[in-house]
Formats: sequence, C-alpha cells, structure tokens
Amino acid sequence: MPRRFGAYGGAYVPETLVPALSELERAWRAARRDPAFRRELAERARSFGGRPTPLHFAERLTARAGGAEIWLKREDLVHGGAHKFNNALGQGLLARRMGKPRLIAETGAGQHGVATAMIGAALGFATEVYMGEVDMERQRPNVLRMELLGARVRPVRTGQRTLKDAINEALRDWITNVRTTHYLLGSAVGPHPFPSMVADFQSVIGREILREARRRWGRPPHLAVACVGGGSNAIGTFHPMRRTSVELLGVEAGGPRGSTVGAASLTRGRPGILHGSYSYVLQDRSGEIADTQSISAGLDYAGVGPEHAYLRDAGRARYIAVHDEDALRAFRWLAEDEGILPALEPSHAIYAAVVEARRRPKRQRIVVTLSGRGDKDLEVVGRAVA
Amino acid sequence: MPSRDGRRGALVAYCMVDRVRRGRYRALALAARQAGATHLELGFPFSDPIADGPVLQARADAAVRHGTDWRDLEAAIRDVASILPTYVMSYANPFWRRGLDRALAEIGRAGARGFLVPDLSLEESPPWRRASRRAGLELVLLAAPSSDRRRVAALARQSAGFLYLVSRYGTTGAGRTAGAAALAPIVRAAHEARPDLPVYLGFGIRDAASARSARRAGADGVVVATALEERFGELPRPATVGRILRPIARALRPVAT
Repeated sequence: MPRRFGAYGGAYVPETLVPALSELERAWRAARRDPAFRRELAERARSFGGRPTPLHFAERLTARAGGAEIWLKREDLVHGGAHKFNNALGQGLLARRMGKPRLIAETGAGQHGVATAMIGAALGFATEVYMGEVDMERQRPNVLRMELLGARVRPVRTGQRTLKDAINEALRDWITNVRTTHYLLGSAVGPHPFPSMVADFQSVIGREILREARRRWGRPPHLAVACVGGGSNAIGTFHPMRRTSVELLGVEAGGPRGSTVGAASLTRGRPGILHGSYSYVLQDRSGEIADTQSISAGLDYAGVGPEHAYLRDAGRARYIAVHDEDALRAFRWLAEDEGILPALEPSHAIYAAVVEARRRPKRQRIVVTLSGRGDKDLEVVGRAVA
Repeated sequence: MPSRDGRRGALVAYCMVDRVRRGRYRALALAARQAGATHLELGFPFSDPIADGPVLQARADAAVRHGTDWRDLEAAIRDVASILPTYVMSYANPFWRRGLDRALAEIGRAGARGFLVPDLSLEESPPWRRASRRAGLELVLLAAPSSDRRRVAALARQSAGFLYLVSRYGTTGAGRTAGAAALAPIVRAAHEARPDLPVYLGFGIRDAASARSARRAGADGVVVATALEERFGELPRPATVGRILRPIARALRPVAT
C-alpha cells in the first residue's frame, strides 16, 4: 500500500502516533490477506449494511438535462444513509482485531459519526465522536441518532467549529489515549495508512459500478462523478476506475456564489501539510489554514485526500467547484424528478452531472455517486429555499 | 564520561511570537537568562496545532488573529538570539509554505541556532535534515513514551542540538509527566545511542517538582512552555518569567553525588 501518491501523502504526525500508525498498517495488511476477515467484512456489508447497492437510471433527470444518460449509484441506501458505513465497518473490524476497546471519530455532516456509532454498538466498542458546534447545530438529527446509538458526542468549540476542528480534537484524543483507542478516521485524509486504507474499504463503490456496468452495457460508463470534501466516496468511486477509460470528475464545494474560497482545496488551494498528509490545502501566505464556507457540512473542509491531489496533477481526474445555490437546485431536481432526497454533499455532484449530461450525446452514460440521503439536511434546505 | 548528574540542567524557556508582543522579546529573554534559562524557544503560531493543549492553542489562535507573520518571527529572533541560543518551534506547514530552504535561511540569518517541528516524523524528516544542514541549523527531533528502544536510538542519532523527549501521552500543558521510572529507560536508550547529545524533557514541566522528576529520569534539561504562557496573557511581563523559572532553575542545579 503506497505511503505516497506521487509527491503527496506521507505521515506528518507527532512521534507519539507513529508506532500506532505502524501497528494499524500491519494489522490491515494481515487482515486483507485473511480469508476469515474478508468473509466477515463481506457478510456484514450484506446483512448489516444492505450491500450491494443498485445503479438506478434517473430517467426524468436525464430528460431534464436532455443529453447523456444519468445513473445514480445508490450509496444513500446503505445502512445509516451514506457510504460512510463501508469504511466504518472495515476499520471497526480491524480495531477489534487489534484489541482496542474504544473508538473515536470525527464527523462533519454527522454521517461518519452515525456510521461509527452503529459499528460501535454492533461490535461492542465504547464510542466517542468529535463534532464541531456549528455542525451539531446544522446537522442536529444526526447528533440525536449518534446518541441513541450509544455514542457520546463531544462538541468541539475551537477554530471555526467545523470538520477541521473536529479532526484536530480527535487527533489530540488519540495522542492521549492511543494505547486503548482506535481513531476511526472517516475520510481518505490523514497520515498514512489512512488514505490508502479508507480508499480500499470504499472501493467497493467503484467495483460494484464497474461490475453492474459490464452486466448492463458490456462496458464501463463514460464518466463518473462524485463530490469531494476529504474525498472518500470519490476515491472509492475513482480508485477502481483509475486504469480504465472512464473519465473522472470530482466536485468540490464552491461555497456561496461570490465566495473566493468555499471549501475547494483542489481548485483553489495549494500544496501543504494538514492533518498528517501532504496534499492540496486552503491556506494563507503564512501557511495558516484558511476558514472555509459551504452549505454542506460534509464538504466544508480545507484539505483533501492525497490521492486526489495526485490524480489532479497527473491529469487523470478533473476537479471543479459548484456553488451552494447550484447544489440546492440539484437537490430539488432530484427530489421533484426522481423522488429522492439527496444529501447536500452529493447534490453538488448531481448539479455537475446535469451540466455534463447537457453537453454530451444521448448514447453516453454518466454515473453519479449518490453518497448519502438528505434527511439530515431538511432544516438547512428548508431555510435556504424559504 | 563525567556523570551527567554533576552538571547543571539546561532550561529552555518558551515564548509564542505574536505581533502584539513586538518589542517585548528582548526584556523577556534577559529576564529568562537572569532566572537561569539556558536556551530560548520561539513559537511561530499555526492555526491547527494538534500536539498542543488548550493554553497554547488559545495563544496560537490569538497570534494568528493578530496577523503574525514570518517577519515577526525573524524580528523576534534578532531581538533575543544574542542573549541565549534560540530555537524556533512551529508545525510543518508554515515552514513548507514559505519554502523550506528560504524559511531556514531566513531564521538562520536572523540568528536562530535550530528548529523543532512537532508534526515532523522521523520518516518524513530526511529532506528537512538536508535543508537544515544547508542552512547550518540544528533540527531537533522529538521522541515520546511510545517510541521503542530502536526508534529512540534512531531519533537520537538523527537529531541535532538536543533530543526533545515528550514526557507523556498527551498534548502540551496541564497533566502529569509519565514519571521518572517510565522515562528513565528512554533517556538511557538515547544516551547510549548518542552519548554527546543532551536529552531535554518537555510537556508538563511546570514547577520544581516536575523539574526534579525530569532530572531523576536522567534528562539533561527541561523545556517550559505552557506554564509560562498560561501566566503571560497577551502581553508578558519580565517579572512573570523570573517568578516561574527561578524555582525550576534551582531544581536543576547539580545533584550531589
């Protein structure tokens, strides 16, 4: 498993964590080769998680766009309502293998926190989830869900009180309790081995897309689209496709129209070191991490996974930013045309997919990863469209 | 080798660089030397200091808010470097953003002797070590209670100036050190690998008792940061430096053998 993706990645962490990261990498390598581990992962993904998820033809959305076919990879149907389950399950099983009795996690939109709380309950861990106060406010239903699932939600009051600050606090907890605790990092960010490991657990998304595409069409889709905050659903989609002919499009949060930064590290940031890895980072001239702005808590992050930085520089994937207003439009299109309430995060990707579909011929097929459902966002959307 | 206990322990005094503290560093450094400090550590603030507890987080936050930049750091080094040997402490990204060679050349020209980066692991350190040699600076590496003997030896061999031993699992500030019994084997492993390299203990050194415990663990010195910053407030006064450091300096006097 690569420690670097081109120049990007690595493990920039305090010495206290280095032995724990090595232990994690060893455990994960051994688990991947262990048929019993793979069997349990697959069985729980099926019976507990509801995998595999379908590829769904968005017929009326396609008609609205008037071009290429738009297909949805329905990760919103995974248990808990988002793709986050895939990684939480994998890491939870690893933590049990390592004999750690306690899980900690960070969460932005709350979906990774909910997934970790579910896994924590099912596998019998004590679970604590760090969440910025601003995010607790805007994703309130998920706070309640985590608590009902037996997790303790720890409010984070530092910095902007969003995802980046929650990761800071989780890392500080891990530095303090590393002997008894596994940090179940939810995105393809952080120090090695997290970016490779999270991509591995999320690659089930891309593998299933390719398998179903081959069955339905006898060939892969022309374009895959996914939203990118830290980038876990996108890397899960892209990673298995990186050596195919599929065009890859990552969609970042552009923030409100007129915002100069948003949360678009790949399109508006520059290389730097944040949360243990070298990747694109939104930062100022002194190297201080910039404040970000996005309507979606899950994309509201100043960094991005190092494999995306590599795919961008290599020209293998393209990254664009979509504004809050356009994500909201796409949210309503999917609701009214397809009967699906998407989360605000993949709404960014839906918008980009519609724009792409318009300029492509009808015979082409676009797959959008619908990374999560929108129940958590009803208040935010209600306020925005009022 | 003469007994390490026969020497006076080093005392590293920390101060965060903050634009609003401009013009105060010289008096603080003189007070620190007067109180028994042997080295200074100037912190350059970073917005996301994952190794720091609440006190230093709040200080970094304030310094970033005040618009502190690299020029403030260079000016602060120039103010104090002739008073005591001075090290710069910051996280990896501010150095990287400035450009590693440029950043190190600048702090070197200003008079710094070396620098430490708490989120720079041994594995990522080779380009940084090469750059530090080009700039004629000492790159101080950090060891921790989680480091096994082999890692401690490797860290000691690659470190320059001194080895910074993190005293416990946790962030900077309040809380106890792991205790002399737990830390002594780590200090010993470092000394065995590099007899010439002093080991300074940091994180949780706040008074004479914690400094004496550091000496019992075999450390050649201590670093005091949070204990100073939590009493400094925004605008530190030289009298505060003396009050905090004097009892610690007394505890670091040679141990009678």
